[in-house]
Amino acid sequence: MLLDLSEEHKEHLAFLPQVDSAVVAEFGRIAVEFLRRGSNPKVYEGAARKLNVSSDTVQHGVEGLTYLLTESSKLMISELDFQDSVFVLGFSEELNKLLLQLYLDNRKEIRTILSELAPDLPSYHSLEWRLDVQLASRSLRQQIKPAVTIKLHLNHNGGHNTNILQTDPATLLHLVQQLEQALEEMKTNHCRRVVRNIK
Amino acid sequence: MELSEYVQKGFQMLADPGSFDSNAFTLLLRAAFQSLLDAQADEAVLDHPDLKHIDPVVLKHCHTAAATYILEAGKHRADKSTLSTYLEDCKFDKERIELFCTEYQNNKNSLEILLGSIGRSLPHITDVSWRLEYQIKTNQLHKMYRPAYLVTLNVENADSRTYPEISFSCNMEQLQDLVGKLKDASKSLERATQL
Repeated sequence: MLLDLSEEHKEHLAFLPQVDSAVVAEFGRIAVEFLRRGSNPKVYEGAARKLNVSSDTVQHGVEGLTYLLTESSKLMISELDFQDSVFVLGFSEELNKLLLQLYLDNRKEIRTILSELAPDLPSYHSLEWRLDVQLASRSLRQQIKPAVTIKLHLNHNGGHNTNILQTDPATLLHLVQQLEQALEEMKTNHCRRVVRNIK
Repeated sequence: MELSEYVQKGFQMLADPGSFDSNAFTLLLRAAFQSLLDAQADEAVLDHPDLKHIDPVVLKHCHTAAATYILEAGKHRADKSTLSTYLEDCKFDKERIELFCTEYQNNKNSLEILLGSIGRSLPHITDVSWRLEYQIKTNQLHKMYRPAYLVTLNVENADSRTYPEISFSCNMEQLQDLVGKLKDASKSLERATQL
Protein backbone atom coordinates (compact mmCIF):
# COMPACT_ATOMS: atom_id res chain seq x y z
CA MET A 1 0.00 0.00 0.00
CA LEU A 2 1.51 3.30 -1.03
CA LEU A 3 1.21 6.56 0.82
CA ASP A 4 -0.76 9.20 -0.97
CA LEU A 5 1.11 12.47 -0.55
CA SER A 6 -0.68 15.70 -1.35
CA GLU A 7 0.97 18.48 -3.37
CA GLU A 8 1.15 20.69 -0.32
CA HIS A 9 2.78 17.90 1.65
CA LYS A 10 5.34 17.33 -1.10
CA GLU A 11 6.11 21.06 -1.12
CA HIS A 12 6.78 21.03 2.60
CA LEU A 13 9.02 18.02 2.33
CA ALA A 14 10.95 19.65 -0.53
CA PHE A 15 12.86 21.58 2.12
CA LEU A 16 14.57 18.44 3.37
CA PRO A 17 17.06 17.87 0.52
CA GLN A 18 18.21 21.47 0.91
CA VAL A 19 19.82 20.77 4.25
CA ASP A 20 22.34 18.12 5.11
CA SER A 21 21.49 14.72 6.62
CA ALA A 22 22.48 15.71 10.15
CA VAL A 23 19.79 18.40 10.04
CA VAL A 24 17.20 15.98 8.66
CA ALA A 25 18.05 13.54 11.43
CA GLU A 26 17.62 16.36 13.94
CA PHE A 27 14.24 17.26 12.40
CA GLY A 28 13.26 13.63 12.77
CA ARG A 29 14.18 13.72 16.44
CA ILE A 30 12.19 16.93 16.95
CA ALA A 31 9.19 15.43 15.14
CA VAL A 32 9.04 12.41 17.45
CA GLU A 33 9.62 14.57 20.51
CA PHE A 34 6.69 16.76 19.45
CA LEU A 35 4.56 13.64 19.10
CA ARG A 36 5.49 12.63 22.62
CA ARG A 37 5.17 15.98 24.34
CA GLY A 38 3.41 18.44 22.05
CA SER A 39 4.98 21.00 19.75
CA ASN A 40 7.17 23.90 20.85
CA PRO A 41 7.29 26.76 18.31
CA LYS A 42 10.45 28.26 19.84
CA VAL A 43 12.42 25.32 18.49
CA TYR A 44 11.43 26.33 14.97
CA GLU A 45 12.75 29.87 15.46
CA GLY A 46 16.10 28.69 16.75
CA ALA A 47 16.55 26.29 13.84
CA ALA A 48 15.37 28.91 11.31
CA ARG A 49 18.01 31.35 12.50
CA LYS A 50 20.78 28.77 12.29
CA LEU A 51 19.76 27.63 8.79
CA ASN A 52 19.04 31.13 7.55
CA VAL A 53 15.49 30.42 6.42
CA SER A 54 12.05 31.54 7.63
CA SER A 55 10.67 29.71 10.67
CA ASP A 56 7.62 28.82 8.58
CA THR A 57 9.81 26.79 6.26
CA VAL A 58 11.32 24.93 9.18
CA GLN A 59 7.88 24.35 10.68
CA HIS A 60 6.53 22.97 7.42
CA GLY A 61 9.53 20.74 7.03
CA VAL A 62 9.16 19.25 10.50
CA GLU A 63 5.38 18.93 10.18
CA GLY A 64 5.72 17.30 6.79
CA LEU A 65 8.16 14.83 8.25
CA THR A 66 5.85 14.19 11.23
CA TYR A 67 2.90 13.50 8.98
CA LEU A 68 4.98 11.18 6.82
CA LEU A 69 6.01 9.20 9.89
CA THR A 70 2.57 9.09 11.52
CA GLU A 71 0.74 8.07 8.35
CA SER A 72 3.26 5.34 7.63
CA SER A 73 3.09 4.10 11.22
CA LYS A 74 -0.71 4.22 11.31
CA LEU A 75 -1.01 2.10 8.19
CA MET A 76 1.95 -0.03 9.20
CA ILE A 77 3.24 0.01 5.62
CA SER A 78 6.07 -2.30 4.66
CA GLU A 79 9.66 -1.17 4.06
CA LEU A 80 9.21 -1.62 0.34
CA ASP A 81 6.01 0.41 0.23
CA PHE A 82 7.63 3.17 2.27
CA GLN A 83 10.59 3.32 -0.09
CA ASP A 84 8.30 3.41 -3.14
CA SER A 85 6.15 6.15 -1.58
CA VAL A 86 9.15 8.32 -0.83
CA PHE A 87 10.72 7.62 -4.23
CA VAL A 88 8.19 9.95 -5.92
CA LEU A 89 9.66 12.86 -4.00
CA GLY A 90 12.86 12.55 -6.04
CA PHE A 91 15.21 12.68 -3.08
CA SER A 92 18.77 11.39 -3.03
CA GLU A 93 19.55 7.74 -2.21
CA GLU A 94 21.10 8.87 1.07
CA LEU A 95 18.07 10.90 2.14
CA ASN A 96 15.71 8.05 1.25
CA LYS A 97 17.71 5.67 3.40
CA LEU A 98 17.69 8.15 6.27
CA LEU A 99 13.92 8.57 6.06
CA LEU A 100 13.39 4.80 6.00
CA GLN A 101 15.57 4.41 9.08
CA LEU A 102 13.65 7.14 10.87
CA TYR A 103 10.41 5.30 10.08
CA LEU A 104 11.61 1.89 11.23
CA ASP A 105 13.27 3.21 14.39
CA ASN A 106 10.23 5.15 15.58
CA ARG A 107 7.32 3.17 14.22
CA LYS A 108 6.58 1.20 17.40
CA GLU A 109 6.59 4.23 19.65
CA ILE A 110 4.48 6.29 17.26
CA ARG A 111 1.90 3.49 17.09
CA THR A 112 1.75 3.43 20.89
CA ILE A 113 1.12 7.17 20.94
CA LEU A 114 -1.57 6.85 18.25
CA SER A 115 -3.31 4.08 20.18
CA GLU A 116 -3.84 6.54 23.03
CA LEU A 117 -6.06 8.64 20.76
CA ALA A 118 -8.75 5.96 20.51
CA PRO A 119 -12.09 6.23 22.37
CA ASP A 120 -11.03 5.42 25.85
CA LEU A 121 -12.56 3.32 28.56
CA PRO A 122 -11.01 3.16 31.98
CA SER A 123 -8.30 0.54 31.80
CA TYR A 124 -6.97 -1.80 34.43
CA HIS A 125 -3.86 -0.68 36.25
CA SER A 126 -3.54 -2.88 39.31
CA LEU A 127 -5.37 -4.38 42.25
CA GLU A 128 -4.64 -4.64 45.97
CA TRP A 129 -6.58 -6.84 48.35
CA ARG A 130 -6.99 -7.36 52.05
CA LEU A 131 -8.73 -10.02 54.09
CA ASP A 132 -11.01 -8.72 56.84
CA VAL A 133 -13.20 -10.35 59.42
CA GLN A 134 -16.00 -8.32 60.93
CA LEU A 135 -16.26 -9.11 64.62
CA ALA A 136 -19.06 -6.83 65.74
CA SER A 137 -21.18 -3.88 64.74
CA ARG A 138 -23.44 -1.49 66.56
CA SER A 139 -26.41 -3.71 65.80
CA LEU A 140 -24.89 -7.18 66.32
CA ARG A 141 -22.09 -8.43 68.55
CA GLN A 142 -19.97 -11.57 68.36
CA GLN A 143 -19.85 -11.88 64.59
CA ILE A 144 -17.44 -13.73 62.38
CA LYS A 145 -18.05 -12.23 58.97
CA PRO A 146 -15.18 -12.66 56.52
CA ALA A 147 -14.83 -10.19 53.69
CA VAL A 148 -12.28 -9.34 51.05
CA THR A 149 -11.55 -5.63 50.64
CA ILE A 150 -10.26 -4.69 47.20
CA LYS A 151 -8.58 -1.53 45.95
CA LEU A 152 -8.93 -1.40 42.19
CA HIS A 153 -6.65 1.04 40.37
CA LEU A 154 -7.80 2.19 36.95
CA ASN A 155 -6.35 4.60 34.40
CA HIS A 156 -8.63 6.93 32.53
CA ASN A 157 -7.80 9.83 30.24
CA GLY A 158 -4.38 10.12 31.72
CA GLY A 159 -5.76 10.22 35.25
CA HIS A 160 -5.80 7.60 37.93
CA ASN A 161 -9.01 6.29 39.56
CA THR A 162 -9.19 4.25 42.69
CA ASN A 163 -12.23 2.16 43.63
CA ILE A 164 -12.50 0.62 47.06
CA LEU A 165 -14.83 -2.37 47.02
CA GLN A 166 -15.68 -5.35 49.12
CA THR A 167 -16.87 -8.85 48.46
CA ASP A 168 -17.65 -12.04 50.34
CA PRO A 169 -15.75 -15.33 49.96
CA ALA A 170 -18.41 -17.00 47.82
CA THR A 171 -18.53 -14.14 45.34
CA LEU A 172 -14.73 -14.02 45.24
CA LEU A 173 -14.61 -17.65 44.12
CA HIS A 174 -17.31 -16.90 41.56
CA LEU A 175 -15.31 -13.93 40.21
CA VAL A 176 -12.17 -16.04 39.86
CA GLN A 177 -14.09 -18.79 38.08
CA GLN A 178 -15.77 -16.40 35.64
CA LEU A 179 -12.60 -14.51 34.78
CA GLU A 180 -10.61 -17.71 34.34
CA GLN A 181 -13.22 -18.77 31.81
CA ALA A 182 -12.68 -15.45 30.05
CA LEU A 183 -8.95 -16.13 29.80
CA GLU A 184 -9.57 -19.68 28.56
CA GLU A 185 -11.70 -18.32 25.76
CA MET A 186 -8.66 -16.99 23.91
CA LYS A 187 -7.35 -20.53 23.64
CA THR A 188 -10.43 -21.96 21.95
CA ASN A 189 -10.38 -23.02 18.31
CA HIS A 190 -12.80 -20.31 17.35
CA CYS A 191 -10.64 -17.48 18.69
CA ARG A 192 -7.46 -19.04 17.35
CA ARG A 193 -9.01 -19.25 13.87
CA VAL A 194 -10.08 -15.61 13.97
CA VAL A 195 -6.65 -14.43 15.10
CA ARG A 196 -4.95 -16.55 12.43
CA ASN A 197 -7.12 -15.38 9.59
CA ILE A 198 -7.64 -11.69 10.22
CA LYS A 199 -4.31 -10.08 9.43
CA MET B 1 -28.00 -5.37 78.23
CA GLU B 2 -29.40 -1.98 79.06
CA LEU B 3 -33.15 -2.09 79.41
CA SER B 4 -35.33 0.82 80.41
CA GLU B 5 -38.08 0.98 82.99
CA TYR B 6 -40.55 1.26 80.16
CA VAL B 7 -39.54 -2.17 78.88
CA GLN B 8 -39.64 -3.66 82.35
CA LYS B 9 -43.12 -2.25 83.03
CA GLY B 10 -44.33 -3.58 79.70
CA PHE B 11 -43.07 -7.05 80.55
CA GLN B 12 -44.59 -6.95 84.01
CA MET B 13 -47.96 -6.28 82.42
CA LEU B 14 -47.35 -9.07 79.95
CA ALA B 15 -46.57 -11.44 82.83
CA ASP B 16 -49.96 -10.82 84.46
CA PRO B 17 -52.53 -13.48 83.51
CA GLY B 18 -55.22 -11.00 84.48
CA SER B 19 -54.20 -8.61 81.67
CA PHE B 20 -53.06 -11.23 79.16
CA ASP B 21 -54.47 -14.74 79.16
CA SER B 22 -52.39 -17.55 77.62
CA ASN B 23 -53.80 -17.03 74.15
CA ALA B 24 -53.34 -13.26 74.16
CA PHE B 25 -49.79 -13.66 75.47
CA THR B 26 -48.83 -15.99 72.65
CA LEU B 27 -50.49 -13.74 70.06
CA LEU B 28 -48.70 -10.65 71.30
CA LEU B 29 -45.38 -12.45 71.39
CA ARG B 30 -45.81 -13.66 67.81
CA ALA B 31 -46.89 -10.17 66.77
CA ALA B 32 -43.70 -8.70 68.22
CA PHE B 33 -41.49 -11.11 66.27
CA GLN B 34 -43.58 -10.59 63.16
CA SER B 35 -43.24 -6.80 63.33
CA LEU B 36 -39.49 -7.13 63.45
CA LEU B 37 -38.87 -9.91 60.98
CA ASP B 38 -41.65 -9.73 58.41
CA ALA B 39 -40.93 -7.08 55.83
CA GLN B 40 -44.61 -6.75 54.98
CA ALA B 41 -45.79 -6.37 58.58
CA ASP B 42 -47.58 -3.20 59.59
CA GLU B 43 -49.75 -1.86 62.44
CA ALA B 44 -52.40 -4.42 61.55
CA VAL B 45 -50.26 -7.05 63.25
CA LEU B 46 -52.06 -6.26 66.51
CA ASP B 47 -55.51 -6.45 64.91
CA HIS B 48 -56.41 -9.90 66.11
CA PRO B 49 -59.95 -10.51 67.44
CA ASP B 50 -58.53 -12.24 70.54
CA LEU B 51 -56.61 -9.08 71.44
CA LYS B 52 -59.53 -6.67 71.01
CA HIS B 53 -60.56 -6.80 74.66
CA ILE B 54 -57.27 -5.38 75.84
CA ASP B 55 -56.75 -1.64 76.25
CA PRO B 56 -54.95 -0.45 73.05
CA VAL B 57 -52.48 1.63 75.09
CA VAL B 58 -51.48 -1.40 77.13
CA LEU B 59 -51.29 -3.47 73.95
CA LYS B 60 -48.94 -1.01 72.28
CA HIS B 61 -46.79 -0.68 75.38
CA CYS B 62 -46.31 -4.42 75.71
CA HIS B 63 -45.73 -4.89 72.01
CA THR B 64 -43.05 -2.20 72.00
CA ALA B 65 -41.45 -3.57 75.17
CA ALA B 66 -41.30 -7.07 73.73
CA ALA B 67 -39.86 -5.86 70.42
CA THR B 68 -37.24 -3.75 72.19
CA TYR B 69 -36.19 -6.62 74.39
CA ILE B 70 -36.02 -9.03 71.47
CA LEU B 71 -33.70 -6.65 69.59
CA GLU B 72 -31.43 -6.15 72.58
CA ALA B 73 -31.29 -9.88 73.22
CA GLY B 74 -30.49 -10.53 69.57
CA LYS B 75 -27.83 -7.83 69.51
CA HIS B 76 -26.02 -9.29 72.50
CA ARG B 77 -26.60 -12.90 71.50
CA ALA B 78 -28.37 -13.63 74.76
CA ASP B 79 -28.57 -17.29 75.76
CA LYS B 80 -31.50 -19.07 77.38
CA SER B 81 -30.28 -18.47 80.92
CA THR B 82 -29.95 -14.70 80.36
CA LEU B 83 -33.46 -14.58 78.92
CA SER B 84 -34.88 -16.69 81.78
CA THR B 85 -33.24 -14.55 84.44
CA TYR B 86 -34.68 -11.33 83.07
CA LEU B 87 -38.13 -12.77 82.53
CA GLU B 88 -38.14 -14.21 86.07
CA ASP B 89 -37.32 -10.73 87.37
CA CYS B 90 -40.35 -9.47 85.47
CA LYS B 91 -42.49 -12.04 87.24
CA PHE B 92 -43.09 -14.35 84.26
CA ASP B 93 -44.30 -17.82 85.27
CA LYS B 94 -42.41 -20.90 84.06
CA GLU B 95 -44.85 -21.60 81.25
CA ARG B 96 -44.52 -18.13 79.79
CA ILE B 97 -40.75 -18.21 80.08
CA GLU B 98 -40.71 -21.49 78.14
CA LEU B 99 -43.00 -20.03 75.50
CA PHE B 100 -40.85 -16.93 75.11
CA CYS B 101 -37.62 -18.91 74.85
CA THR B 102 -39.08 -21.31 72.32
CA GLU B 103 -40.41 -18.48 70.19
CA TYR B 104 -37.04 -16.70 70.49
CA GLN B 105 -35.15 -19.84 69.48
CA ASN B 106 -37.37 -20.31 66.43
CA ASN B 107 -36.70 -16.79 65.24
CA LYS B 108 -33.08 -16.42 66.34
CA ASN B 109 -31.51 -17.00 62.95
CA SER B 110 -33.71 -14.55 61.09
CA LEU B 111 -33.18 -12.01 63.85
CA GLU B 112 -29.39 -12.30 63.65
CA ILE B 113 -29.43 -12.05 59.88
CA LEU B 114 -31.54 -8.91 60.11
CA LEU B 115 -29.30 -7.29 62.71
CA GLY B 116 -26.17 -8.29 60.82
CA SER B 117 -27.39 -6.62 57.67
CA ILE B 118 -27.82 -3.23 59.32
CA GLY B 119 -24.84 -0.94 59.08
CA ARG B 120 -22.46 0.87 56.80
CA SER B 121 -20.33 -1.08 54.43
CA LEU B 122 -18.23 -0.56 51.36
CA PRO B 123 -19.78 -1.02 47.92
CA HIS B 124 -20.17 -4.75 47.54
CA ILE B 125 -19.30 -6.66 44.37
CA THR B 126 -22.11 -9.02 43.45
CA ASP B 127 -21.21 -10.24 39.98
CA VAL B 128 -18.89 -9.84 37.03
CA SER B 129 -19.45 -9.91 33.28
CA TRP B 130 -16.83 -9.89 30.60
CA ARG B 131 -16.50 -9.42 26.87
CA LEU B 132 -13.67 -10.55 24.65
CA GLU B 133 -13.02 -8.54 21.49
CA TYR B 134 -10.46 -8.54 18.74
CA GLN B 135 -9.37 -5.01 17.88
CA ILE B 136 -8.76 -4.47 14.18
CA LYS B 137 -8.42 -0.74 13.63
CA THR B 138 -9.37 2.71 14.80
CA ASN B 139 -9.45 5.85 12.72
CA GLN B 140 -6.04 6.71 14.15
CA LEU B 141 -4.40 3.34 13.97
CA HIS B 142 -4.80 0.55 11.46
CA LYS B 143 -3.77 -3.10 11.63
CA MET B 144 -4.04 -3.35 15.38
CA TYR B 145 -4.92 -7.09 15.56
CA ARG B 146 -4.98 -7.53 19.25
CA PRO B 147 -7.45 -9.11 21.68
CA ALA B 148 -8.89 -7.03 24.50
CA TYR B 149 -11.26 -7.68 27.36
CA LEU B 150 -14.01 -5.47 28.72
CA VAL B 151 -14.85 -6.36 32.31
CA THR B 152 -17.86 -5.05 34.22
CA LEU B 153 -18.22 -5.45 37.97
CA ASN B 154 -21.76 -5.32 39.32
CA VAL B 155 -21.71 -3.46 42.59
CA GLU B 156 -24.32 -2.94 45.27
CA ASN B 157 -24.42 0.00 47.67
CA ALA B 158 -26.30 -1.29 50.71
CA ASP B 159 -27.21 2.06 52.20
CA SER B 160 -28.18 3.99 49.13
CA ARG B 161 -29.63 0.94 47.35
CA THR B 162 -27.87 2.04 44.19
CA TYR B 163 -26.29 -0.41 41.80
CA PRO B 164 -23.44 1.32 40.04
CA GLU B 165 -21.29 -0.63 37.62
CA ILE B 166 -17.56 -0.42 37.28
CA SER B 167 -16.32 -1.16 33.76
CA PHE B 168 -12.79 -1.26 32.52
CA SER B 169 -10.80 -2.63 29.63
CA CYS B 170 -7.69 -4.74 29.88
CA ASN B 171 -5.42 -6.85 27.73
CA MET B 172 -4.55 -10.46 28.37
CA GLU B 173 -1.58 -9.81 30.64
CA GLN B 174 -3.60 -7.40 32.74
CA LEU B 175 -6.47 -9.84 33.09
CA GLN B 176 -4.00 -12.55 34.09
CA ASP B 177 -2.62 -10.18 36.71
CA LEU B 178 -6.11 -9.45 38.00
CA VAL B 179 -7.09 -13.12 38.15
CA GLY B 180 -3.77 -14.03 39.76
CA LYS B 181 -4.29 -11.50 42.53
CA LEU B 182 -7.87 -12.63 43.17
CA LYS B 183 -6.67 -16.22 43.35
CA ASP B 184 -4.03 -15.21 45.91
CA ALA B 185 -6.79 -13.62 47.96
CA SER B 186 -8.97 -16.72 47.82
CA LYS B 187 -6.03 -19.01 48.72
CA SER B 188 -5.31 -16.75 51.69
CA LEU B 189 -8.94 -17.04 52.68
CA GLU B 190 -8.76 -20.83 52.51
CA ARG B 191 -5.65 -20.89 54.65
CA ALA B 192 -7.18 -18.54 57.19
CA THR B 193 -10.25 -20.72 57.57
CA GLN B 194 -8.04 -23.71 58.37
CA LEU B 195 -6.28 -22.02 61.25
